[in-house]
This record gives sequence, structure tokens and C-alpha cells, in this order.
Amino acid sequence: MKNLKTLIVFALMMVQIEGVMAFCGFYVAKADAKLFNNRSEVILVRNGNRTVVTMSNDFKGNVRDFAMVVPVPVVLSEHDIRVVNRSIFDKLNDYSAPRLVEYYDEHPCAPMIEARNEMFFAPTMVESITTKDMAMDVNENYGVSIEAEYEVGEYNILILSATESDGLRRWLTDNDYTIPQDADDVLNPYIKSNMKFFVVKVNLEKVASQETEYLSPIQITYSSEKFMLPIRLGMANADGPQDLVVYALTDQGRVECANYRTVQLPTDRNIPTYVKSKFGEFYKSVFERSWKYEGQNAVFLEYAWDVSPQNRVKCDPCVGPPPIQGDLAEAGVNWLNSTGKAYFTRLHVRYERDKFPQDLQFQVTPNKERYQARYVVTHPANGDFSCDEGQAYLKDLEMRRSKEVDELRVLTGWVTKHQSGYINEFSNRRLDRQNIQEERNEFIPVGSSDGKRPGGNQFPWTLPIVFVALAFFIGLTSKLVKKLEAVRSMS
Amino acid sequence: MPLHTLVQERRFSTPVIFKDPRLFQLTALGSFLIFGILQLGWQHDIKRFLVLISFTLLAQCLAIVALKLPIDSWKSGLISGLGLCLLFHSSSFWILAMAAIIAIGSKYLIRWKGTHIFNPANFGIVIPLLLTNEAWVNTGQWGSGVMLAFFFASAALMVLMKVGRIDTSVTFLLTLFALESLRSVFYLEWDFDVVFHKMMNGSVLLFAFFMITDPRTTPNRMKGRIIWAALIGVLSFALTSVFYLHTAPIWALFIATPFTLFMNHLFGGKTFNWKPISHITKQFKQ
Repeated sequence: MKNLKTLIVFALMMVQIEGVMAFCGFYVAKADAKLFNNRSEVILVRNGNRTVVTMSNDFKGNVRDFAMVVPVPVVLSEHDIRVVNRSIFDKLNDYSAPRLVEYYDEHPCAPMIEARNEMFFAPTMVESITTKDMAMDVNENYGVSIEAEYEVGEYNILILSATESDGLRRWLTDNDYTIPQDADDVLNPYIKSNMKFFVVKVNLEKVASQETEYLSPIQITYSSEKFMLPIRLGMANADGPQDLVVYALTDQGRVECANYRTVQLPTDRNIPTYVKSKFGEFYKSVFERSWKYEGQNAVFLEYAWDVSPQNRVKCDPCVGPPPIQGDLAEAGVNWLNSTGKAYFTRLHVRYERDKFPQDLQFQVTPNKERYQARYVVTHPANGDFSCDEGQAYLKDLEMRRSKEVDELRVLTGWVTKHQSGYINEFSNRRLDRQNIQEERNEFIPVGSSDGKRPGGNQFPWTLPIVFVALAFFIGLTSKLVKKLEAVRSMS
Repeated sequence: MPLHTLVQERRFSTPVIFKDPRLFQLTALGSFLIFGILQLGWQHDIKRFLVLISFTLLAQCLAIVALKLPIDSWKSGLISGLGLCLLFHSSSFWILAMAAIIAIGSKYLIRWKGTHIFNPANFGIVIPLLLTNEAWVNTGQWGSGVMLAFFFASAALMVLMKVGRIDTSVTFLLTLFALESLRSVFYLEWDFDVVFHKMMNGSVLLFAFFMITDPRTTPNRMKGRIIWAALIGVLSFALTSVFYLHTAPIWALFIATPFTLFMNHLFGGKTFNWKPISHITKQFKQ
């Protein structure tokens, strides 16, 4: 009865959240305009100690007001900085976004096989690098040294090293950067960890219009044992929790967080068909619920796959064109000619100061297992259901739909008024309609009617309960063993 | 009041897991594992747990048969197996099996003056990490917040049990805490919750309470144990802050193993033997 065939596959991008984005640095306004950073994206490429970080830039407004400060572990040289095409972020996002899959039921009375799986492949574009000269300057009064100065793409970039936070703060203020009040506290730890500051402004001569549509993402390459993202600085001008999506590419396998839990989101769940039109909203709720359930301090895995050029199945199902060699090169993958292997991981973090006291530290693992956040809607068959199979199908359909509604409630906490209408949409086609009223009560899901996911992370009650239960079990078993031994020795 | 009087006056019998420290340890590790599966999303890893546990038990059974060991030693085997489950990861069946066999094998093959020198679970983790590219340790898998309860439960029960190695746990944690505070709070000027978050990491606590407390591979005398545990604390700190090694304590314990022998040479003491507490009290009565 459940011969299902894939028909169309589509995905919706993560819900767009308004506001300016920043991750490991803070955006600083030259005017006192208040800037918020809510969501940002970053591509992390790691191969041995070589790290390539590409930071998306969704700044909107007058480019005169744009400025960014990011701590980096080393002084970057001219060829370590470049701008890349914004499309690389869109590609990786489209490819790895949580997906909704649609299935269509085969008609129970007249089976017919039809399948279509849509896949898209698209060419890629690689942008050239623009870099310019380098300078060295020391300003004793501030304790700030300008280690290097570059012009890259539409940006003017300075690399600063500082001896104390107060000097750095004064330097930034005197050079027309308005920095957030709280930034002072977090500057010191980075200075003392011998980190440098990557300071970016827009070169007004290089942009056609000051009210530009978008600014290019900046990509930096460095070699360091530290594989981390300094999120603490970005919290300085944050207003509430911030979202960060990390697209990681390695030669070994998955990337996971080393100092916070990396959790898989619930996946492969069947949900009601009416969710299709609001999948973005649905996923937002799923994420939010999981985030709360996991104590608001976990990192979520949204996608993991082998994207090596020779791997034919780069997604199943594909919701966007898989990244091809040119895309990987654009992101900073430079080892494909030697090993030919590339693994992609998409991580989603929602962080705020209280729950994320430490910067995010990552590790590359040899875990090559695939994972995708995937949700399924199944459309019912239509037509005449008067055959026996048809009647059985309708019964199953009601059962299935009540499970879908229940699943939706568990995943999102949504309770819909019309859910009983959804469950019983096809009930009037059942020939044994007189029994429906009775059976309906059976179908209404029980147990999780408040829609809460069990557990929660407030206090690990499970731990002592399991401990006591196990202690009893072990106690009983060992008593039994002793008795058996006694019986054996007597005989 | 002498201990035997206490034992005689007792009206109800002590639960069996408090009579044998190994059973207690089994219960604790087993409940952490079940807790992880139920609440931390480790249900995807059940196959890995099954492979590790079956192979440690299998290796232990072979050792029991081949070396005519007491049947009782299955408990130590299972403890090592659970220790591996809680720390060691690999997607390869053979590497999991290898880790389990190496862990148990090290107990009977690498010996010095009649006792094994490496902590079996630690050895079983380190060797595949060194020799293959297919193994890893996930230090973040426990998270940090919920671990307060873990910490207290473990600590309180350890004291209750008097396994006798609480000194190693405390010394290690205090050393690490002092060094981390000095570096993160006093030197780098992070807020205190950074240190708290690091110390409350489940993997660090598991290591402190259940790995470096193995009485067979820790120095016999308290003085020796304190110096030894402090050394592991210093090494862990150095490996974390200089080399950014997330799995620092595991490596520190591995490196510090020869020092156990040195401490025993220096301070002497009798090698620990697993005997249920009931046996000890019986001896006491006689």
C-alpha cells in the first residue's frame, strides 16, 4: 500500500533574518548608528594547520559606515587575503540547507509507477585576487603597531597588533571607528593570546556607489594550530542570540566542535502536507525547539557529505547544485589534485554570552558518515477508493496523518485547529463511515498532546534514575549468580 | 568504634555494588552511557558501543581461559570496555575491535614486576590514535552545563565507596583548575566562567573520576599519587595551552605512565589487588 515514489524535491533557504551580520569580529559604525548582528555565515577550510576563513558580508547601507574588526592568529601577508564572489555562499547554502522532500502515494486501486528526481548542476565563477602594497608603522602612544596595510578588492585592510586593550580602543576611536562599550573587556584576552587584529574599511574610490547592494566576502588564509572562531568579540555589539552558519571543508571528514556538544537535528520525519507552504517557518521552529531542548549551548549539525569530485552521489536528494571543483577552489580547497577527497560539514550555532563563554573550537574528525536534515511530506492518492485496497488505504492514511500531526507537534510545538480536518480529510470516502466516529478517538494522538519534547536539559534526572535502576539490576544479577554457584557447589 | 563492630551491628545488608568497587564503577559508567543514549543523542552510536563492549569482553574471556585467571576479572574487562565507549570514536569496525583488544591485551602483555603498567582504556585509545587516521575522541560530546550533577554524584559516591583513589582525582582537578585560572582569568583576563566551562567539561570530569583513579595503574602510596596526579594536571594544561590539543589529559596520562613505576620505586607500597570489601572485613574479623 505504501509504494511511494519520489517526485519533486525542493528546499527553502534558511529563514532570512533582517539585520547586519557579523561573527567573530564586530561591525563598527563610524556614525553612532546602532548596528545589530543576528546571522552570519562563514566558510572554514582546514587541511593540516592551513586554515582558510571566508566571511560573508551582508552589510546594507552606506558603505562609508562599514567597518569590521576580526582577531586573527597571525600577521597575514598580501597574498593571504582576497575577496571572493558572494555566490559561493549561496551555492553552499542552497546545497546544504535543511530540506523538504515530497512524495506522492501511488493509487491503491490502479498502481502506476512514475518517478522523477530533479537535480541541478550549474557552472561556477572564480574571481581574481586584488592585492596591493604593504606598510609597517608603529604608534608608540597607543601601543598599537600597524603590521601591514593592504588594498584588497573594495576594501582597505590594516593588520594591527596591540600591547593593551585601552590603547587599541583609543586608536580605533581616534581613527574614526566607534567601537561597542563592552568590546574593551574582550580585546585584552585576544591581545594577550598574541592575536592580531584584522581591521577592514571600504575603499570609497573602489565602489561605484556608496549605497551599494552588497560587499564582497573576504577570504583569509593562515597556518595555525588553532582551529577556532573567535565569537566572543562579536558578542560585544550583539542584541540577543546570534546565528552563525559554518560551512566547513576538510580532507579527512566531518568537522565537530571540541568544546561544545555537536548535536544532529531530528531528521527523516514525516510531517503534514500543509507544512509545505511554510517550510521556512517550520524549520525555524524545529531549530529553535532543538536549541532550547539542548540547553541553548549546543552546536547543530545540519549537513555532512563527501563532496569529493569522484563521489557521484553528492546529495540524496539534491536541493541545489552540489559544489564542483571550481567552487571548492574558490572556498580555499587546494589539495584536490593530490588526495582528491573533500568533506563538507554544515554547522549551525545560535550563541549568546551566557551560554557560550568560550570561543568555538573545532576539530577535524575522520568521520565520513553522511547526514542531512530532511523532512518528508507525502501527498495522498486521489480518485475512486471503492476497491478493498482503496478502503484499507484510507484507513492507513488516517493513521499516517495522525502520526504526522503528532510528529509536527513534537518537532515544532505547533498545535493547529484544523488538524482533525487534516486527519479525516478523506474519511467520507470510507464505505464503513458509520464506525468512523469511534475510530477517530483512537486516531487522535495521545501522550504528547502538549507538544513538548520529553526530557529537556534543565537537570539530568535520567542520570540518577538510570544509576539506581542499573544498581538494582546488577545487585539482583550478582545475587542470582551467587545462588547458582551455591547450587552448583552443593551438587 | 572498630570497623568489625560496625559491620556486626548493621541490621540490613549493604547493597552488593557497595561491596565490590568494580561493580560500583560498572554501575556508574553504565549509567553514564545510558544517560548519553537517552539524553545526549548518542543513539546513533549504539553499534559502536556494542562492538567495543563485545570485543573487550571477548578479549577478557580469552585471557581468562588462556591465563587461568579468576572468572571475576570480567568486571575489569567490562569497565575498560565502557571507558572506551565513553571516549573513543571510530567509524571503522576493525579499529573499534582493535582498540578493545589492545586495551585488554595491554593488561597481560605489558607488565612490570607482576602488574600491568598502562591504564587499559587509555592505552586502547592512544594506540589507535597514534597508528591510524580513523580514530578520534570527541571532547565536546558531554557538554558542560549538566555536568555539575555528574561532578557531585561522582565525587560523593567515590568518597562513599572509599576506593581509595579520590586523592588522584582531587589533585588532578585542583592542579588543572589552578593553572587554568592563572592563565585564563589572571593573565588573559577572560571572565571566570571560561575556566568554569572548561573544568565542567564532561570528558575532563570523566577522566578525573574514572580513568586516573584505576588503583592498579596509579602509584601505591598517597604521596606518590599526589605528585603523579599533579604531574598529569601540569602536562594536560601544557598540552592544551601550548599545542591546542583538545584531548590533552588522555595524552598526559599516557606520558605519565612510566612515572607510576618511578613513584612506586621511590615511595614503595603494596600493589593494589581487587578484592571485594566484604573479603577485607572478613579478614578484619579474623
